[in-house]
Amino acid sequence: MNYTVRDSTPEDCKDIMRLIVDLAEYEKMANEVKLTHKELEADGFSSNPFFKCLVAEVPEEFKSKEGHTLVGYGFYFFTYSTFKGRAVYLEDLYVMPEFRGKGIGKALMSHIAQIGRARGCVRMQFTVLDWNKPSLDFYSSQGALNLTATEGWQLLRFEGDHLEKLAQSAN
Amino acid sequence: MASFILRKAEPKDVSDILRLIKELAKYEEMEDQVILTEKELLEDGFGEHPFYHCVVAEVPKEHQSSEGHTVVGFAMYYFTYDPWIGKLLYLEDFYVMKEYRGYGMGSEILKKLSHTAVKTRCSSMHFIVAEWNKPSIEFYKRRGASDLSSEEGWRLFEIDKQYLVKMSSEE
Repeated sequence: MNYTVRDSTPEDCKDIMRLIVDLAEYEKMANEVKLTHKELEADGFSSNPFFKCLVAEVPEEFKSKEGHTLVGYGFYFFTYSTFKGRAVYLEDLYVMPEFRGKGIGKALMSHIAQIGRARGCVRMQFTVLDWNKPSLDFYSSQGALNLTATEGWQLLRFEGDHLEKLAQSAN
Repeated sequence: MASFILRKAEPKDVSDILRLIKELAKYEEMEDQVILTEKELLEDGFGEHPFYHCVVAEVPKEHQSSEGHTVVGFAMYYFTYDPWIGKLLYLEDFYVMKEYRGYGMGSEILKKLSHTAVKTRCSSMHFIVAEWNKPSIEFYKRRGASDLSSEEGWRLFEIDKQYLVKMSSEE
């Protein structure tokens, strides 16, 4: 069964949103998805995009049970390390369960690594939930290091009311 | 000493920024990992599509540091994207020179950034902190930050250059 990996277009946003919700469900956090496909389109396809997205597509004859041909995506953007410079951040990587085991996940990641290297990036970073053993194993096999375990990095966040409160106290 | 200003970094600030990056790296016990150069900082921060944004804290000449510096603190940030909620502000580095602490500079920098986050319609400000860095963790928690590594189990991963190259050459 063949597939292609390509850059996404504004028309793909509804499908990408569908896959984003699928992944959120797998991560047991589906109720946290507030974004709409219209916002995704505005934020990803303007002259100054906030993210990039690659999609994996299968031919019509291999479409999913529900009739979809867009079966996976890799969502990324560029970040910066004050130690080493340009980096690529892999925000989401997902392949629909019925299309797994065919190398699609690896292909998406490989393309993003290529794009990163072409842009002068020296590393790729991402976060994984500590209970997500299949993903932890997959990334380990690709040479990924768990920096939380080895260097003790903790991910923190200011959001909602706390962010608002902090902002309002600025001069 | 009470007066200081916060301003957007300019190209002329890159040597001060690199100096402060190295000081922060030393505090994090990772000084030898900084390979970034002034040239890269200049190219990556002040070109057409900057990889980062930077705010600096400056004191008047009469309050310059023991080594003659007037740029005594900085924060480096960039915009990232969460497919569930949209734009985020990511705080990459945040540092005030030791002899200038306790005057509220750190607080003001954080407030200014959260103001920027709200103004640019970011839902949240994210950053990582080393788990042993109790003073910083307390500083952030006092202001309402949540520790997502403890609360939700997120682990930070990295794939560095050698594996990126390997991955990008596989199909």
